[in-house]
Amino acid sequence: MGLLGPNGAGKTTTLLMLLGAIIADGGTIDIEGHPLPAQRSKAMEHVGFVAGYLPLPQHLTVREALRFFAGLYGVRRPDPDINAALERFGITRLADQRCESLSSGQRTLVGICKAILHRPRLVVLDEPTASLDPDVALRVRTGLKELSDDEGMALLVTSHDMLEVERLCERVIFIAAGRVVAEGQPHEVIEHYGVADLESVFLAVAGIHITEEDR
Amino acid sequence: MRASRVAVVARRHAIVIRRVPFRLFDIVLWPMVDVILYGSIGVFVAAQSQGASRSSATYMLAGIMLFHFLYQAQVANSTAFLEETWSRNLLNIVTTPVTEWEYAAGMALVGLAKLAAGIAMVTLAGLVLYSFNLFDLGIALVPIAASLMVIGWSISLFVIGLVLRFGQAAEAWTWGILFMVMPLSGVFYPVSSLPPVLRPIGRVLPTTYAFDAGRQILDGRPVPWGSIGIAWIGAMVCVVAGVAFISRMLATFRRRGYVTRFS
Repeated sequence: MGLLGPNGAGKTTTLLMLLGAIIADGGTIDIEGHPLPAQRSKAMEHVGFVAGYLPLPQHLTVREALRFFAGLYGVRRPDPDINAALERFGITRLADQRCESLSSGQRTLVGICKAILHRPRLVVLDEPTASLDPDVALRVRTGLKELSDDEGMALLVTSHDMLEVERLCERVIFIAAGRVVAEGQPHEVIEHYGVADLESVFLAVAGIHITEEDR
Repeated sequence: MRASRVAVVARRHAIVIRRVPFRLFDIVLWPMVDVILYGSIGVFVAAQSQGASRSSATYMLAGIMLFHFLYQAQVANSTAFLEETWSRNLLNIVTTPVTEWEYAAGMALVGLAKLAAGIAMVTLAGLVLYSFNLFDLGIALVPIAASLMVIGWSISLFVIGLVLRFGQAAEAWTWGILFMVMPLSGVFYPVSSLPPVLRPIGRVLPTTYAFDAGRQILDGRPVPWGSIGIAWIGAMVCVVAGVAFISRMLATFRRRGYVTRFS
């Protein structure tokens, strides 16, 4: 599922509400039968979180950081899962590097490993490929697709890369100023707006109508 | 509360302490500096007074050592939390199943180890450099020191609450708040030595009674269980107020989405 919309639309706020980091003003959120915020701790056992902009704990190696998070998620013997996750994303060589020495791309990959160690039902990804080189972005996309297919993990993704969204998401929700303005399969939303692709939907939602010349 | 999560939090902070030498300053360097500074002032005053102020060195040394129970407990807890803000790791933490109290227990565990190391350092420095043994206070040292530790932990709840509410700008309180408590609670002198306008403030601080009890024992008077009792009642009030304050700040933190300030 892609959660899309222009800057300031409320995407990250929505994600943080789903993660129990922000308490919603109204409405209810239930994760696997656990209402937020009352059963936040239980609910978060089923959710993983990755954000492209989020650093990892300083002064810890990648393996130590992953052990730390695995422990918080209640994984008892995390090393086999850590090895498997690092291998899946081709970053086994980073295991003994300090977190603060990682590039943003490496950090994102380690962040994804962190988010899947406890085999959550839902992985929330906020701008997972922002500022990544195309090769790393491709590796992230491929890895996420495999995760979803192999492990049955649902992915909730925010992204400004509409091509990525088209490749990764079965459904999209467009929001603007905190309200849902379009929802459905990508091709349905594109047809509804009568445009050529998701990028044009994005621009229309942002209030920008492009001409053939702009294109 | 899951013990495994508490242990994981404690281990994470223990690794940082081991790996970052600057984090040892609070445990090793500052305690040593304090003992030398206040011990030497005490010795100088005693020498100038030609014995009339025989106890000045012991007052100063006992005062600063007891102060370190308060300081180490407060700073160890606060800096463990600040470590997450310095790492911009807070959002990672609050989106995991760990509860606030599990996290606080993990920090307290590491804080206890840091406190023990810091106290060992001041005790050793006092003994080696000035032949002053804090344990001469006897068994009464236990409740006096414990009350100061509990107050220190409570103050750290206020400091962490302020950082959650007002952001990293409030972290100056971590070190600043105790330097307000220090003169007002008469670490080295009775509250009657304060300017009259400040005495009422000194008298309501529970720390005042703990330090005063220490001085009375040094003077060879019977153990002032009354003062120690007042210190403990005050400590309990501080705990209740600290827990209430941080609970309120956490609720505000989650309701207003302040976590984004730290990411």
